[in-house]
Amino acid sequence: MISGKDTIEEALRKAKAKKVYIEGNFAKILSKSLPNDIKEYLKESKERDIKARRKRLDVTKQVQKQNSELAEASVIKESLVLELKNALDEAEKLRDEAVEDLDVLQKRTQFELIGLIVKVALVIIVGVGITTTLMYTVAMLANKDTTILGNAWSNLFGILLTNSFSIIGTIMGVKYATEKK
Amino acid sequence: MIQSILLIDDEDLFHLVFEDACSLLDMTLSLEALNSSDEADKLFKKWFDERPSADRPECVFVDLNIIGSSFDGIEMIRKINEDYGNGVVIGIISSSDDVKEIEKAKSVGAQFWIIKSDDIEPRLEEFIKDYQGYVDRTSDFKIYK
Repeated sequence: MISGKDTIEEALRKAKAKKVYIEGNFAKILSKSLPNDIKEYLKESKERDIKARRKRLDVTKQVQKQNSELAEASVIKESLVLELKNALDEAEKLRDEAVEDLDVLQKRTQFELIGLIVKVALVIIVGVGITTTLMYTVAMLANKDTTILGNAWSNLFGILLTNSFSIIGTIMGVKYATEKK
Repeated sequence: MIQSILLIDDEDLFHLVFEDACSLLDMTLSLEALNSSDEADKLFKKWFDERPSADRPECVFVDLNIIGSSFDGIEMIRKINEDYGNGVVIGIISSSDDVKEIEKAKSVGAQFWIIKSDDIEPRLEEFIKDYQGYVDRTSDFKIYK
């Protein structure tokens, strides 16, 4: 307890006159045997202090609450950003797969077309070959002139033999390309 | 009334809350708040070397996780109790209510565990009622929820 009575009383009266109010725990350590007007002043100081502290406490708590809400929101935001990034990565991956699939599909369609063309060509060549062979055989059996048919037949088989490897290779390549994903 | 309190907590806003709550409850005459356990460790070392030191607080509230410090609240309590000769009422004030951590705190000599919340005053009021028991070492470890 502070006890230099005159000094304290004078200081407190001056403070009271200037409307300077004591804050915090200081009022608690002042001597209790003070004149009534000073006691009143101290009581008012204490009430003001309590009011100010209550107000500050409420504001601080509110700020604290807002801070924790902001921290929580920040965590949620971070997790959303991460989720969004993952979704974007997934979407990009799917897009790349779709582009690749489209490319494969286009190539496959092209290969199928080539395969069809080669097959038709093969059927035509084989058909013409069989027809020419039949006509050549009939002409030989009937003792007819076979010069033109013989030339045509030998030319045709010459072409077939020359290109057989490339035709078979093309057919096998097309088959392989269309079977693969 | 507690003569002097030391609060060790990294959150400045909580310093204000705690200070105002203590003042409104007429809990203490002197309150010092520190942000790190390293700072507190230095002070306790000083107080320990100058024993008996009048500056040594009567009661210490330590946060569990003190961000930016070399060690946490439990280690701080262990140091105060084992390295610096105890002599204070000491416990944890934290928003956590992790049972494992509570047991750890108890094992290093914490006398109480106060759970931080928006409404800290009722818990501190209850703590003041039990305070003498902590000083006399007659009260058991208690959790203020």
